[in-house]
Amino acid sequence: MTNFYLRWGGVLIVAIVFIVLTYNHYRDNLASLVPQQVKQEAPTGDVRVLGMVQGGTLETREAGEATFTLLGKNATLPVHYQGPPPDNLRELKILILIGTWNAATQVFEARDIGIVPNYGFIAGAYLLGLLPLALFLFAMARRVNFLYEEIKASKLYEED
Amino acid sequence: MTIHRVIRKVQRFQGWFGSGAALCLGAGLYLGLIGSPADYYQGEVVRIMYIHVPLAHTSLIGYTVLALGSLWYLWKRDPIVDNMCQAVAALSAVFTALALGTGMIWGKPTWDTWWTWDARLTSFTVLLLILVGYLMLRTFVDDPEKEARYGAILAIVGFVDLPIIHFSVEWWRTLHQPQSISMRGVSISSGLLVPLVFMSIGMSLLFSYMLMVRTQLLYLDRLLHAKKGRLLSQFHLSKSDS
Amino acid sequence: MTSFNVIRWIVWKDFVTELRSRETISSMVFFALIVILIFSFSFSMDQQAAREVIAGIMWVAFAFTGIIGLGKSFSSELQNDCLEALQMVPEAKGAIYLGKVAANFAFMFLVEILLFPMFVILFNLEVVEGISILLLIFFLATLGLSAIGTLFSALTVQIRAREVMLPILLLPLVVPVMIAAVEATKGALNGDPLAMYEQWLKLLAVYDVVFTVVSFWMFEFVMDS
Repeated sequence: MTNFYLRWGGVLIVAIVFIVLTYNHYRDNLASLVPQQVKQEAPTGDVRVLGMVQGGTLETREAGEATFTLLGKNATLPVHYQGPPPDNLRELKILILIGTWNAATQVFEARDIGIVPNYGFIAGAYLLGLLPLALFLFAMARRVNFLYEEIKASKLYEED
Repeated sequence: MTIHRVIRKVQRFQGWFGSGAALCLGAGLYLGLIGSPADYYQGEVVRIMYIHVPLAHTSLIGYTVLALGSLWYLWKRDPIVDNMCQAVAALSAVFTALALGTGMIWGKPTWDTWWTWDARLTSFTVLLLILVGYLMLRTFVDDPEKEARYGAILAIVGFVDLPIIHFSVEWWRTLHQPQSISMRGVSISSGLLVPLVFMSIGMSLLFSYMLMVRTQLLYLDRLLHAKKGRLLSQFHLSKSDS
Repeated sequence: MTSFNVIRWIVWKDFVTELRSRETISSMVFFALIVILIFSFSFSMDQQAAREVIAGIMWVAFAFTGIIGLGKSFSSELQNDCLEALQMVPEAKGAIYLGKVAANFAFMFLVEILLFPMFVILFNLEVVEGISILLLIFFLATLGLSAIGTLFSALTVQIRAREVMLPILLLPLVVPVMIAAVEATKGALNGDPLAMYEQWLKLLAVYDVVFTVVSFWMFEFVMDS
């Protein structure tokens, strides 16, 4: 029985290590700020901001240049976008903006737009697929071990 | 008490299947989640395919094994084959349910709906219903021999029915929703194929390993049950003698 | 006694029992009437809506009543150990199966013929020109239901909770029959050209042949004792 738990402990550790590594791999893509944080913390350098394009504020000047207001939970952020012509820049669309915060002009200078990644679905699917299988297998394997031990123990009553 | 020779063989070799499954799934997960690029059309969500498709394939293989095992049982009436059938039915049911669940999670970001009456989803739901019916039927029969026989009959009839169900549902879909969502046009590039192959092999090995464990479980359960029954009857006989 | 005689005697026996007790057919007809009534309450039925859903309602009612008849087919054999007597018939067990299929088919078809005028009157259907094709659909679909239903009636008769298990096992397996029957009936009621729903009739015919053969073969194992 000790061997059995040791083996499953090993499986558990490997699984946890794998989950942590995968999370680290995707962390850069997952992390993003909301407009309120940008205004308060005034980060320097490249940041990723998550928000929704406020209705009625989008003005496209030419392909690849636009201004709009990004709506967060309880703050808005004026945005000036200049970069590759965006495919999915529409009003009321939830986006991730990549760019820098210009503290002097109080405008976010965006240079790229990413759609909101749906890693939640992927993580959900993998957990739903593998976790029940692992639990099921663990329960079965444990029961088999118990049964073998019970059979060994019942040798007392064995007829010759 | 002797353990059946098949079970002894299974006991000896199951470790290879278990570790093989762990290695293949590990490699498949690494390639699928980290080592492969996102799909051009579907983006990152395509990674759900690496878990969903192997689950679905494996459950179909499982049902085939169930039908063949049932035929074998009706032919030879070997109780160990029946233990295998019962084990494979439970596992196929679990795999089918998980394939449906992951399919629904995949459907939400791609088609913006949890459920669509797509031909494949519908036939898998019917498959799940048949498997659950099989497992329920077995719990409602008292005599173990009858339980095995009835289960085998249901499994074989269901196996014959499955292609017909699939065709009828597909025709029905094309009739009612010609713009039905289909993956058939999308060719799978080799970058996506490698993790898929690893996950598929890994899932099949995992299924075999779980099947071995569960067959053992059912067999040992039966053995212990019979043993206890024999002891009990001996006990009663000795009581009535004295 | 040849196998053909076995079939004849079983059909005759079932008919005589039914004539004397009138249990099965009357309960099937009344159950179907109640189902129709409940359905017309649950959908607000104007003429247009009725056209869309009537085929579905019809076949749900027929399938449920069919299951009542199928369940009775073998559970009535439990009295006085008639089932053991049937198992002792020296001829091939398949003959018993064919006799039972014939009797079940006859009961179900009779009930459908009795109920169909009700549908026509209650929902104002126009059936005059499509009546022959509708009868063909009824024939094929009922044969499919009774072919596989008789097998499962025999299979569930000796288990616990048989009234629940028969529909649970049977309904997923008759999904093709239900789809094909509903689609073909819809086509026939709408007066579509036959070519539009011919495929469903073919599917029903294939289903009938396949499951009569498979059930005939599997019945040997059900009756095995």
